[in-house]
Amino acid sequence: MTRPDLSNRVLIASIAAAAAILVVYFALARPVLPEAWRTPGSPQLYFTGVAGAALLLVSMVFAVVKRTGGGGAAPAWFVAHVVCATVGLVLVVVHSGGHLRRPPALMFLALLGLVTLGVWARLQGARRMAATFATKQRSFQPATGDRRQELAGVIAKKKVLLTEIDPAAREGTFSLTPGHWIKHPRAALRYAKLVREENRLMGVRASVGLEQALWRPLHMALGYLFVLGIVIHVITVTFFAGYVAGGGPIGWWHLAAW
Amino acid sequence: MSRLSLMIDLERCIGCKSCEVACKQEHGLGSGEFRNKVVWLGDMTSPALDFLTVTCQHCERPACLRACPVNPKAIIKNPDTGVVSVIEDRCTGCGECVIACPYGAMGYDPVGHHSVKCDLCADRRAQDKIPACASVCPGYAISFGERSDHLARAEKEGRTRRDHDHYLMGPATVYLDRLNGGNAKDKRSDAVEGRTRPALMDTARAASALAAEAPAYPYGSPREERTADTVIPGGCNICFNCCSTEFHFAGNKLVRITGNDTDPILKGKVCPKSQLTVQLYNNERRLTQPLKRIGARGEGRFEPISWIQALDEIAAKMTAVRDKWGSETLGIFSGTRTGTLTNRGFIRIFGQMWGTPNIESTEPFCSAGKNVAYELTQGSVACANSYTPTDLGSARLFVYFGDNQAETRPVYFGLLNDCRIKNKAKTIVVDPRLTVTATKADRWLPIRTGTDLALALAMAHHILANELHDKAFCETWVEGWEAWRDYIVAKHYTPDWAAPIVGIPADDIRRLAEEIAEADGCVIFASRGVNQHTNSAQTNRALMFLAAITGNWGRKGGGFFNMSSAVPISAAAPPERRAKITRPMVRRSPTGWTEAMGKGKPYPMKALIACNNPMSNWPGQDAAREAVKGLDLFVHIEMFENETSAYADYVLPVATGIEKGDIGRANDDRRVVWIDKMIEPPGEAKSDDWIWIELGKRFGFDDVLKDKYKDPAVFWDEMCIDNDHLRGITQKRLHSVPYRWVRFPVASEDAPEIETLYMEGTSAVGHPGKRFPTPSGKLEFFTPAMEAKFRALGLSALPEFYSEREHLIDLPYIEMDEGDDGHGIVSPFYPTPTSASPARIRQPGTDSPGIALRARGFDMELVTGRPPAPHFHSWTHYFWQAQEMWPDLYVQLHPKRAASLNIKDGEKVKVETAHGAIEAIAWLTAGIRETAAFVPIGWGEKQPFHPWRSVNFLTDKTQRDPISDQTNLKSLLCRISQL
Repeated sequence: MTRPDLSNRVLIASIAAAAAILVVYFALARPVLPEAWRTPGSPQLYFTGVAGAALLLVSMVFAVVKRTGGGGAAPAWFVAHVVCATVGLVLVVVHSGGHLRRPPALMFLALLGLVTLGVWARLQGARRMAATFATKQRSFQPATGDRRQELAGVIAKKKVLLTEIDPAAREGTFSLTPGHWIKHPRAALRYAKLVREENRLMGVRASVGLEQALWRPLHMALGYLFVLGIVIHVITVTFFAGYVAGGGPIGWWHLAAW
Repeated sequence: MSRLSLMIDLERCIGCKSCEVACKQEHGLGSGEFRNKVVWLGDMTSPALDFLTVTCQHCERPACLRACPVNPKAIIKNPDTGVVSVIEDRCTGCGECVIACPYGAMGYDPVGHHSVKCDLCADRRAQDKIPACASVCPGYAISFGERSDHLARAEKEGRTRRDHDHYLMGPATVYLDRLNGGNAKDKRSDAVEGRTRPALMDTARAASALAAEAPAYPYGSPREERTADTVIPGGCNICFNCCSTEFHFAGNKLVRITGNDTDPILKGKVCPKSQLTVQLYNNERRLTQPLKRIGARGEGRFEPISWIQALDEIAAKMTAVRDKWGSETLGIFSGTRTGTLTNRGFIRIFGQMWGTPNIESTEPFCSAGKNVAYELTQGSVACANSYTPTDLGSARLFVYFGDNQAETRPVYFGLLNDCRIKNKAKTIVVDPRLTVTATKADRWLPIRTGTDLALALAMAHHILANELHDKAFCETWVEGWEAWRDYIVAKHYTPDWAAPIVGIPADDIRRLAEEIAEADGCVIFASRGVNQHTNSAQTNRALMFLAAITGNWGRKGGGFFNMSSAVPISAAAPPERRAKITRPMVRRSPTGWTEAMGKGKPYPMKALIACNNPMSNWPGQDAAREAVKGLDLFVHIEMFENETSAYADYVLPVATGIEKGDIGRANDDRRVVWIDKMIEPPGEAKSDDWIWIELGKRFGFDDVLKDKYKDPAVFWDEMCIDNDHLRGITQKRLHSVPYRWVRFPVASEDAPEIETLYMEGTSAVGHPGKRFPTPSGKLEFFTPAMEAKFRALGLSALPEFYSEREHLIDLPYIEMDEGDDGHGIVSPFYPTPTSASPARIRQPGTDSPGIALRARGFDMELVTGRPPAPHFHSWTHYFWQAQEMWPDLYVQLHPKRAASLNIKDGEKVKVETAHGAIEAIAWLTAGIRETAAFVPIGWGEKQPFHPWRSVNFLTDKTQRDPISDQTNLKSLLCRISQL
């Protein structure tokens, strides 16, 4: 099987194409387009936004598929994650109609952060990850006892919790999945805390540079923020259409005009 | 099944990175992508250097696996073998495993965006092979097997196993600590704590130069495209280790080079260079068609032309030069790349038929001094011993003088180091630097460069004065030893006299002398650190005398060993077909030809054919580059366009190694390694043999340089081996052994090989009734005939101490009576008439050259030498992986010295001598004399990835040994400053 991958060249080309489309759209096309294509609430831009949001949510599906094992090969979903996010980005920016001084524009900031981090990770972060090899030589010094005692305590607690979460599992090769969180949320939470403690004792994130250690947690946090933003946006335009319209006409589908 | 793992012996690892090369070959990894890596760990406070091989630990509780967020996991652990591996088809490339692994042993493919890691070569294990790294390791440092067996072996051998399980992850890889008792005793067994890796290694800047282009096939290609269907045995044609190798082909494409497991000596062990030649044969930078210069000399502008046009025009210009100036005005310079059959065969014959004595290789830069010394003392230039456990391996003491064997012949060193550990033998290294060889020694004696002669004399004085010598051997087998004894006693060459000269305490000198005298088998190694001085021949002789008076000659486990043993190829034109030569060779050293090229003195040299890279490797580059501008014709035969090409009128693309067929280079222990022609050269490139034969046709030489000799096997059998040393090494015999080598001398096809020459009761080959092939049949220190030769040059056969003219203290030095523009006298030390200048030893005084240089701020001792094992002169600089390992030219400095100059590790600095200046990256290490600086050879300003000016802009062509014409490349005053 050939592992699907998005080469750096394709990634750069995709991002450049997306940026070019947006520049052309806003600089050249938008001024001459009908009013409906400049109004976020118009049917045209409403459905553009829906399509964009749907594509961006595909990116989130990747995060779920990857952790649950459902839906096929994770690398293929990763490619979909990038492609859909890129196309979705273009659509939601078009959907904004250029109104970037209103609260939903915060989502653009999140999107910008997501794209920046994602592109950095592929183009630069990958090199740093490769260069991490053989940089942790201190771990080859003769071991001392103190930290091992603390770690032994954490591992012992993990083993106890594991009898509740997944009795058949072996602590040394076990990690939590969404299934464990659903079935045993409290135990999973306690287990996750122990994992965090173990990683702290091992100095996991501190063993690499700040960007390398934090890009992914940041990327994920921004992703969750973005999804939260979409949810809030959908709720407000659907149920608080009056507030969103600010006294103006409500041209989009909604359930209430509060 | 028990857990599988590697066992890595820190005492045996020599940091050569052969395992890295093997791993990348096996798995097709590109630049920046690692499954294993050897980390160099130096020390800023005390002399220490160690090597840590980092690879997956195959942990019981693998952090990488637990960190993998993919479900099902992209990292799995085999419950039977314990092997942890990546399923790349599942990996999304998030890098969490890279962050999680506390050992830094998770690799990452920055192009394919996924994790990679050691799986102990699952594909090889499926074929009952051991992992690639373990199969090639020259140091026997990596073993593969069941972990329980490793532990049992460590226990049995009394070795301490490192506990590096900081995180209770149960790492399976076993690390054996270093043995105690050597230098830096307090830290030696740890090898990691407090250590720093050189700042010039693994920099992002260096990596980016490689990342810009995809590595050539087969790297990065799918395994199925790299799977070999044919394997052909052969050998490596780069260095003197002459590794036996196997060439793996997929169809007609070379996909891999490995060691040859059937080799009874090397056992499949192979150095990184041999494997890296995959990147030579599949290299897009190779020259592929003849070029003719269209710009000014040095400008590097060319147009492609046909071979016919190139050879016709070259022949016409050569004829014009000969008609106007005489046949002797053609110089031919060859060397490493050219190949032994071309050097000693085709070029020699061509030169004889053309009528020029000015044919030379790199010998005067490398080994001319020791060859003269061997010839005088032993009667032959071949080393007497062999790298076998029963010969050299059985020594009780190994003493290395200026020989960094671990980096220059890593497979041989690995073999001996293994024997040292097993036999509990001792190693002592005398060298200005803590070389890799010195890191394995029981004692490192940081000698002042260029003063080994004083040390040898002082040790001999101590041995003879205290009657520690082998009296029976001296009286029976040494001619003139009493004269030498009386001489050094009369000169008071005592350890106390030598101590301030060499910078080693007198007690340490006495101790070393006694250890050599007492050891039941001592091998004295010397190499370029001794050879590349103006006292080259005499220092080599003095060290030979030391070995001889202690009975370490013509015995197993004892001897004097200075690489390498020139293969006595007998190829020559019939006497009646040789042109008359009326003028002697201008000078033995090609660097002595520059006056002839530039000024026409002592007679003009108007044409030069260089089969090498003289515009990088000739000492005194400024003078050399200026001189070649005066040539009427300059032809460059090369694989890559380099510094020399820019100055040439014609650049001819050439084949090498398996593209043309050859023997390996002059091997240390007399093994002749045969390399078949296996592939076609790139584009229109041709073998050297083809070029010389085709050029010869234009002068009517084809009755001797016959067309059929384009097949090197035919040339070998018909032209090269008609003598007592090689007659038995026929193609038939070479191809009868699966490892393709036979050790000379073998006088007939069925004659047995001789492990150790000159054993008592034997006769030297070709000298019936004589144990040694000298006129007396004994080792010769002093004879009237020998004295007459030395007197002709104004010297004595009894080595008198002198050193170099550029020193921090004023020592006796040699002064030539004539420059290279003088006619001099015909040297008494060479069979071919060769001009040499008489000389005299000048005692230090108020006019000593060092005084003026020190007054100009040249306050450090510059030492040049070979870089680490993956590099060899300039050609490895075109191999991307060698560049990944060792990218930049560096200058090693002591941290105290660097602090006084406000220089930091990894900083770019300027290095200046009275002869020129270059830039380099500072590498701070306490493993060097505080007053010394070391700059390696091999870099050039035209190289593709990391161009730097050659170190030979710092060297001086005029400082040469009057006996051998060897250039001093090891002792020059320099100053270093921030840029």
